[in-house]
Amino acid sequence: MKRYWIVLVFAFCLRAFADEVIPPAPAQYFNDHAGVVSSATASQLNQTLEDFERQTSEQILVVIFPTMQSDSSIEDYTVRVARAWKVGQKDNNNGAVLFVFVQDHKMFLQVGYGLEGVLPDALCKRIIDEQISPRFKAGDFDGGLTAGVQSILAATKGEYKGTGATAADSRTSHGSSSPFLGFGFIVLIIIFIIFSRGSGMFLPWLLLASSGSSRGWGGGGFSGGGGFSGGGFSGGGGSFGGGGAGGSW
Amino acid sequence: MTLKRIMKKLGIILGVLVIIGIFILILVVTAGGSYNRLVKLSQAVDSQWAQVQNVYQRRADLIPNLVATVSGAAGFEKSTLTEITQARASVGQVKIDPNTAPTDPAKLAAFDQAQGQLSSALSRLMVVVERYPNLTATENFRDLQAQLEGTENRISVERRDFNQAVQAYDTAIKSFPTLFYAGAMHFYEKPYFSAAPGAETAPKVQFNFGNPATNTP
Repeated sequence: MKRYWIVLVFAFCLRAFADEVIPPAPAQYFNDHAGVVSSATASQLNQTLEDFERQTSEQILVVIFPTMQSDSSIEDYTVRVARAWKVGQKDNNNGAVLFVFVQDHKMFLQVGYGLEGVLPDALCKRIIDEQISPRFKAGDFDGGLTAGVQSILAATKGEYKGTGATAADSRTSHGSSSPFLGFGFIVLIIIFIIFSRGSGMFLPWLLLASSGSSRGWGGGGFSGGGGFSGGGFSGGGGSFGGGGAGGSW
Repeated sequence: MTLKRIMKKLGIILGVLVIIGIFILILVVTAGGSYNRLVKLSQAVDSQWAQVQNVYQRRADLIPNLVATVSGAAGFEKSTLTEITQARASVGQVKIDPNTAPTDPAKLAAFDQAQGQLSSALSRLMVVVERYPNLTATENFRDLQAQLEGTENRISVERRDFNQAVQAYDTAIKSFPTLFYAGAMHFYEKPYFSAAPGAETAPKVQFNFGNPATNTP
């Protein structure tokens, strides 16, 4: 009896996590949703981080939100967000995300499995405490983030070799929608032809309509609104295990 | 006449045999398929269990360093340190296979309890340490603190992943039709970690990121 009770509680917890809406993957490497960084610094850091992925294949992201809208702890919440965004390349898990929550005066640097060696927790803590926090305290978000990004890049440089392209680049050149979508469409057409020969015409239409409404054929790509500019961030499939450190100011 | 009747009977028997044969074939194919699936799920649980062991070992490895650093501080209360050393020793006494996930709920509970005691001893130490600003200001201690915090985060992440792997496995075992032959193939239900105290309360979340107008200042 007690076991069932535990199962129930566990299921309830899972449901609670499932109800949590994780923000969609960002379109850029440097994302200021709180409007605290000057646009010049933002676009410069964004370019630096994009070039860094081309050179090293490592995906380093900075995301600034006004507040953390979750009752979970910052380390628990941000690891789930970073996992959902699949930051880092799939085989190396070489991603890192610096989360900043301006009104909470809190930040957390989440480090993917593959960067834990070059970006250990103690180093993350030092970058936050020595490079970022003092500047944030003085209201200098531009300086704090520039110094923080530079420290992170300095620590992780040379750990992996890049291909000269970002995950977003290779995704757009290979076509954005999955091949299964095209395959499914062909199957549907075949079914359509078979059915329309035999019985009346309404059944295939019904089939088409139902499958169309439930799945949608648009197949919005994963690159998350990167647009036609070709740039922008796209998750490479990396995962996170809770490495990194947080801080406040 | 009689030959015809015999032939007819034989035909019926043959037909029945063919149907039984097809039935057995379907059974074997589905059982084989789900056997492979269960093996995969069971291995996923085991490898996740190894991850759990890794992060707990990581924490255990940090403790001697922590004890050495803290006991160096002038006039530090030794009682909290003894508590930690004892808790670490009792963790070592829980003999558990690091490569295969436990099948006995009592064994997992014993492991969890020992680790939980170490967790609470550590958090008590961190509270006591706050009274020694000379200690907490040192670079060595701050590095250690960051490492310990990171390890606790990793522990909660890997525990959650482990529970999810076990849940997938247990669900597969208890589903129809696997339910009937899982035991015969030696697949039994595996236990998972119970939720941490306080985790029962669901996190309340509202999301309006990127829409600053609706955010309360």
